[in-house]
Amino acid sequence: MSYLVIEGLHKKYGQSTVLTNINMDIQKGEFITLLGPSGCGKSTILRIVAGLTDASAGKITIEGKDMSGVQPKDRQVGMVFQSYALFPNMTVQENVAFGLRMQKVNATDIEQRVQEMLALVHLSEKANAYPKELSGGQQQRVALARALIVRPKVLLLDEPLSALDAQIRKKLQADLRAIQRKLNMTMILVTHDQEEAMAVSDRIFVMNNGSIAQNGTPTEIYTRPDNEFIANFIGHYNVFTRQALEQMLGVTLLEHCSKFAIRPEALHLDQRDGDMCIAGIAKQSLMNGNIIRTTFDGETMFTMEQLHQQQGYSIEMGKSYKCYVAKEDVIALS
Amino acid sequence: MKKRGLADFFFLLLVGYLLLPVLATMLYAFASKWNKTILPEGLTLKWLSTLFQDTDFIQAFGRSVLLASGAVSIALLVIVPAIFVIVLYFPTYEKWIQMAVVMVYSFPGIILAVGLIRVYSQIGIPMILVVLGAYVVGILPYIYQGTRNSLRNIDARQLLDAAQLLGASKRQAFKKILLPTVYPGLFAGALLSFSVLFGEFVLINLVVGSRFETVQIYLMKKLSTSGHIASAVVFIYIVLMGLLTFVIAIVTKRSKGATNL
Ligand SMILES: Nc1ncnc2c1ncn2[C@@H]1O[C@H](COP(=O)(O)OP(=O)(O)OP(=O)(O)O)[C@@H](O)[C@H]1O
Ligand SMILES: [Mg+2]
Repeated sequence: MSYLVIEGLHKKYGQSTVLTNINMDIQKGEFITLLGPSGCGKSTILRIVAGLTDASAGKITIEGKDMSGVQPKDRQVGMVFQSYALFPNMTVQENVAFGLRMQKVNATDIEQRVQEMLALVHLSEKANAYPKELSGGQQQRVALARALIVRPKVLLLDEPLSALDAQIRKKLQADLRAIQRKLNMTMILVTHDQEEAMAVSDRIFVMNNGSIAQNGTPTEIYTRPDNEFIANFIGHYNVFTRQALEQMLGVTLLEHCSKFAIRPEALHLDQRDGDMCIAGIAKQSLMNGNIIRTTFDGETMFTMEQLHQQQGYSIEMGKSYKCYVAKEDVIALS
Repeated sequence: MKKRGLADFFFLLLVGYLLLPVLATMLYAFASKWNKTILPEGLTLKWLSTLFQDTDFIQAFGRSVLLASGAVSIALLVIVPAIFVIVLYFPTYEKWIQMAVVMVYSFPGIILAVGLIRVYSQIGIPMILVVLGAYVVGILPYIYQGTRNSLRNIDARQLLDAAQLLGASKRQAFKKILLPTVYPGLFAGALLSFSVLFGEFVLINLVVGSRFETVQIYLMKKLSTSGHIASAVVFIYIVLMGLLTFVIAIVTKRSKGATNL
């Protein structure tokens, strides 16, 4: 049986509909990511699961128990907010201990568990500091420790890392994933960064405009996007209309759909068995880390990505090239 | 360097100009005789001790304290929860409070007094209660600023959410997190209100007068009988205000040190 079930969730603010028919089925210990552009309703889902906002319709079940009418404080759902929401009048230690205090755990147990938790997030030496004396990454770790210590059934994380710089972010992503595995905690992470989603999750729910566009493992989402939105949002796919692509390939495509997607790195300049071919004039080359991204002008514009160390071709701008792609890498979009 | 010296000179002149009457008054409170000399002929504690033996003064002092602290307590009980509710749940209504604040500042006391007398004197409510009510409204700006400034730098709504998800009831969250956060600002606002009301004269004198003799009214009466006693009253008043200012300064400074204000 699923651990957390969200069924037929709808949310309206006055006239405007924010969520339409959200269904999610989450197993115990799963790391779920809600991925989607700004304003698509990700935070609203989390707030409804936590009981901070009421849904217009729909049902939330945790461990088989219907959550309707259950107060936030009794749901055993933890949350980490984007802006940390640490209590400014309390030290790190007091912040982390807060949940246990509310549960009336005895003082020696609190002390011990707080120490363990601070060690887990590598903040033992900051126990007596006030939140404003900490860096953003440190504050976020306190927020995480504070939410984890009460051992919630589900931990919700609302863009916890988006305010941090890239390096700390990567580190915290890894830390977060390690902690989640260690505690076998069920987590829902909200983010609008697709790389972050790919890096940490067991399963990704991609949202668009108040509904779920696709869900699946990172590999599934990346290699088999269902529709144009996903193809564009994940991995900068080249999206072609049937007409344009058939013209470029010079063949008739069999799938019944109007659009097709090809990943930029699925294109290559050397011909392999059974490859199809599209031609275009090289317009621009940009280096992005160890990847070179070249834009071609064919029937429509498309891009190709190659690894930098892959010497051999140097692409001249303004010259026409044939780019090859395997049949199975041409993905039909619904 | 030269310019600087000139500026300093004028600054000192100004300070002297402002402080001299205060110092002179305070000195007069201790002067045994000060008629024909530049400095008093001798110092004495006579005036102060006369003052403290005068039950009229003690009672007036008690009334002032009672009136000011009563108004401040009522304001804290009524206005502070209102500000919290508005800031947290109805932020669009905040402009009405701000408008009320401006009106309180801009309303001349004398007009207020006449208005209060005309409206309330026939109804039969004791006029002192009317003044108390006006005081409660009058210190709205100080209480509002005190609370609001502390709330401004925190996302109060989100802190409440976070506390609730950790198992706190709304009440506990309010008591353990929001109140301690606004407490220093609120405390300073309350002290400031107290000192403003303690020194209020226009309203109380016009509306109630000698029927409820406060320190200010007592002082007014003494001005015509004994300059020394009046100076002693002023001396006590200044000492009291100095103390209050000192406490406010400490509280606001500490709040900057410890919390996220
Ligand atoms: N209290 C509210 N009243 C009215 N509309 C709201 C309210 N809260 C959210 N909305 C609207 O609901 C929509 C979804 O908001 P939500 O905060 O869930 O988006 P999000 O996906 O979390 O975006 P972001 O990535 O920017 O945080 C937005 O269009 C927002 O304007
Ligand atoms: Mg959000």
